[in-house]
Amino acid sequence: MCGIAGILYKGSAAADARVGKALIDMLDACQHRGPDSTGFSLYRDPVPGHLRLRFIVGDGDEARAAIERVKQKLTEFQAKIVEEEHKGSSFAVLVKFDGDLQKFAFEMEHAAKLSSIGESLDIIKDLGGAFDVDNVYKIDGFKGTHGIGHVRLATESDVAPEATHPFWATGFSDISIVHNGQITNYYKMRRRLEKQGYFFNTDNDSELIAVYLADKLKHGFTLKDALKTSIDDLDGTFSFLVSTKDEIGYAKDKLAAKPMVKYEDDKIIAIASEEVSLNRLFPGRALNTSEPAPGTYDTWQRSISA
Amino acid sequence: MATIDLSVTPVREANERLRKYGADGIDVEVLNPDARHHIGVGLTHPINVHIRGSAGYFCGGLTDGPRFLVDNNVGWGVGDNMLNGSIVVNGNASAIPGVAIRGAEIVVKGNIGSRAGQVMKAGTLLACGNASFMAGYMMYGGRLIILGNSGEKVGQDMTGGDIYVAGKIGEMGTDAMLIDLPAKERDEILAFLDKYKIPFTGTFQKIVNAGKKLRYPKTEPRRRAIPFFESFADNSYWNAKVQEDIHIKSQIGRYRIRGYGAARPMPHISDIAFKKDIRIGAMTDPDVLSKVHMKTEVGGRSGANPLKLSMPVMIAPMSYGALSKSAKLALAIASRLSGISENTGEGGMSKEQREEAHQLIYQCLAGRLGWNIHDMQKANGLEIYISQGAKPGLGGQLMAKKVTPEIARIRGIPAGIDLRSPSRHPDVLGADDLVIKVEEFREATGYRVPVSVKLGAGRVRDDIKIAWKDGFDFVELDGMQGSTGAAGNEVLEFVGIPTLSAIQEARDALTEVGGLDMPIVLMGGIKDGIDTIKALALGAHAVAVGTSAIIAGGCIACLQCHAGTCVTGIATQDPEHEKRYNIPVEAQNIHHYLESVRWQIAAITHALGYSDPHQVSRDDLVALTPEAAAITRLPYHPEYRERDQDLRRAS
Repeated sequence: MCGIAGILYKGSAAADARVGKALIDMLDACQHRGPDSTGFSLYRDPVPGHLRLRFIVGDGDEARAAIERVKQKLTEFQAKIVEEEHKGSSFAVLVKFDGDLQKFAFEMEHAAKLSSIGESLDIIKDLGGAFDVDNVYKIDGFKGTHGIGHVRLATESDVAPEATHPFWATGFSDISIVHNGQITNYYKMRRRLEKQGYFFNTDNDSELIAVYLADKLKHGFTLKDALKTSIDDLDGTFSFLVSTKDEIGYAKDKLAAKPMVKYEDDKIIAIASEEVSLNRLFPGRALNTSEPAPGTYDTWQRSISA
Repeated sequence: MATIDLSVTPVREANERLRKYGADGIDVEVLNPDARHHIGVGLTHPINVHIRGSAGYFCGGLTDGPRFLVDNNVGWGVGDNMLNGSIVVNGNASAIPGVAIRGAEIVVKGNIGSRAGQVMKAGTLLACGNASFMAGYMMYGGRLIILGNSGEKVGQDMTGGDIYVAGKIGEMGTDAMLIDLPAKERDEILAFLDKYKIPFTGTFQKIVNAGKKLRYPKTEPRRRAIPFFESFADNSYWNAKVQEDIHIKSQIGRYRIRGYGAARPMPHISDIAFKKDIRIGAMTDPDVLSKVHMKTEVGGRSGANPLKLSMPVMIAPMSYGALSKSAKLALAIASRLSGISENTGEGGMSKEQREEAHQLIYQCLAGRLGWNIHDMQKANGLEIYISQGAKPGLGGQLMAKKVTPEIARIRGIPAGIDLRSPSRHPDVLGADDLVIKVEEFREATGYRVPVSVKLGAGRVRDDIKIAWKDGFDFVELDGMQGSTGAAGNEVLEFVGIPTLSAIQEARDALTEVGGLDMPIVLMGGIKDGIDTIKALALGAHAVAVGTSAIIAGGCIACLQCHAGTCVTGIATQDPEHEKRYNIPVEAQNIHHYLESVRWQIAAITHALGYSDPHQVSRDDLVALTPEAAAITRLPYHPEYRERDQDLRRAS
């Protein structure tokens, strides 16, 4: 039960774009939809041959022990730490690594709760509102071409950083999703994917969407085609956003039970649960927005040249 | 013209100012709306409001009279429940535009979102562009005009009203059909378009209800009624009730419908006893009422005016429709005499009921039947019904015989249908939407009236946490033993969880999230003051009594509430039957019963050594059965059974 937001800057607008600030503003505007926790998927500049990992480690002794385990595991995989950062309840590292990502990711899971792994992807999520999370992690100044975010009202699962969106598709670099709604064939789909060797980090139905899409991409689907099949394969109510290193996209269920509004011009594409989030980007302006129709999907590519 | 700038004025303050301008007859211009929610909610004066930009959810909702002009788009539920007045939207409207309107004119120049006009009763919703999924879903009346394409499932489960489509018609919804357009109606539409200066020269196709689902095909044959207590007294495998069920089902080929609640044996509050050996009765101090503090406030946790009850008891929600007007009046009078609250139930608020009851909770259901801004503002409490213990997950049922022209008028529906109210609120499809809905109610009533939620006991642990997070002032929690005027027998008996489990789960959930400041009003099989104190000790702040109140007021429990032929004049709309009901006498009877509850609460509280029933705790209780012990985690002490029975006999 939540609010979602995503933005992608196009062409020359992508240079120096303040994605972090845009996401904070959009999420704060719809914080009434989810006051418990807030999360961001940011895409940093990739460093060739390196991976970014972020873990949720808690605090105090618990954090120290978790960081110790992470470091030990990284050593086992001969992943050399280039940078490290311990902020709030998370621990992030940039490591030099070029082995089998999926095996690495599944093993790292045993060291601590993984938030994300990617060449670019960095999922920052924690309890509280958009500004609370920004206060700890300093997202406001972050620049990039695109990102997605989420505010959460916990209903069935716990109020905890790891139950917060965005969700990363464990084992697949750089894919993340944010979701508003409920996937009702969650267990059936999860069992099907687990039989194929996929690993689930949480019991949250939204994580399924990330793993489902990653599986499709692995089998050669384009992101757009993966979104298309998701509308038939996933049952329930959903409006979700997905992002990869180079693209963002959305899908909306056939019942049109959850809201989604989009605004597009030649500089940006922005999508959110409510227009009030989009309007935060353009105070005082009447925006020419549209609502994606039930059962539709679409994707936008970032301009690689930017 | 006055100006309100939303970039510097919070919506709450803006709405207060709008209401003042309304009372003074001054038109208003709203600047920098930036798609904020609830703009103009609760206005009841015919002023012009010009919104210079986009508005968010429920723009102009719960209003009567104003004329809004929105320069750009609107969010969910534009014009929600609007009685008179108009809203012109120059851009697009999001989902459920014109939801539950009762006479307003909503004109959208662009496209409209899904479920347009859901449960609308009267008035006109016009889309100059295209409609989306399920336009006219469950509409009861009025007209929906679409100049563009209809979208899929148009007219899904519509009961009444007319849909006119100028563009392409997608897949037709269930129980909708196309008919020829009468020339007169085309002229009326063109006149409407002309009024709003919308040029149009095309023609329309008309969609109406096909009438295949309005009534059950076969009604139940009349039998000699076997009263509730007799029906279920014999628990043997093949009893008279089982046999009767089989016979009737062999005639009608479907599930049976009946009144009352779950009757099969299940763990209940009567399986809990007081640990102390207490005696009440002749030996009780005659001044006990003055020695026990029973006044109870409910609903003030967010600053609204709380309900002030003379004891921790309310009358449970029962509708005018399910019950006769006379029975509702008797309940209202009794509630006043005993200093407690009455509840309208689903079917709207009557003037007489409002006058008699000093404290009245006004219930809002998914069909928004009888719901309107004026009665909201007259209410002492608002209640969003999500479901009830007798039939969790389902809407109300009112069989054709009870849907008289008057009931139909109040509810805004066609007369003589087997009314099956919607089970899902048009604008509440999750906890996130519910937050925005609660806020709308608060805006409409100036944050003065407590807003509660009624939950049928199902997944109580999750639901209660949502209720707490969404900021409700209190929760009415209804267990499986709760009764109803009509429901499928299987649903009554096999859906939901017992009242005892419900209160335990609620208490656990609130403890977990630190939300014990949110009061629970427990209902579902509360018979007397003994049950009340046990409920309080288990974690309720108050209880509500329905079945016991109507039995006190003459009900003979014949289970025929749904049939509309109630011989006592309680569950009927037939004037001949209702004539038998003596309002002043029954009001006194209900009042006397409530006073007996009060005396029991005082006597037991006093006997347990306390001065306020809210001081009684779990430490004072034991479980009499292994099941009740497992549910409540109270110690299992069957040896207290005899004392518990003595207590009941003595009081």
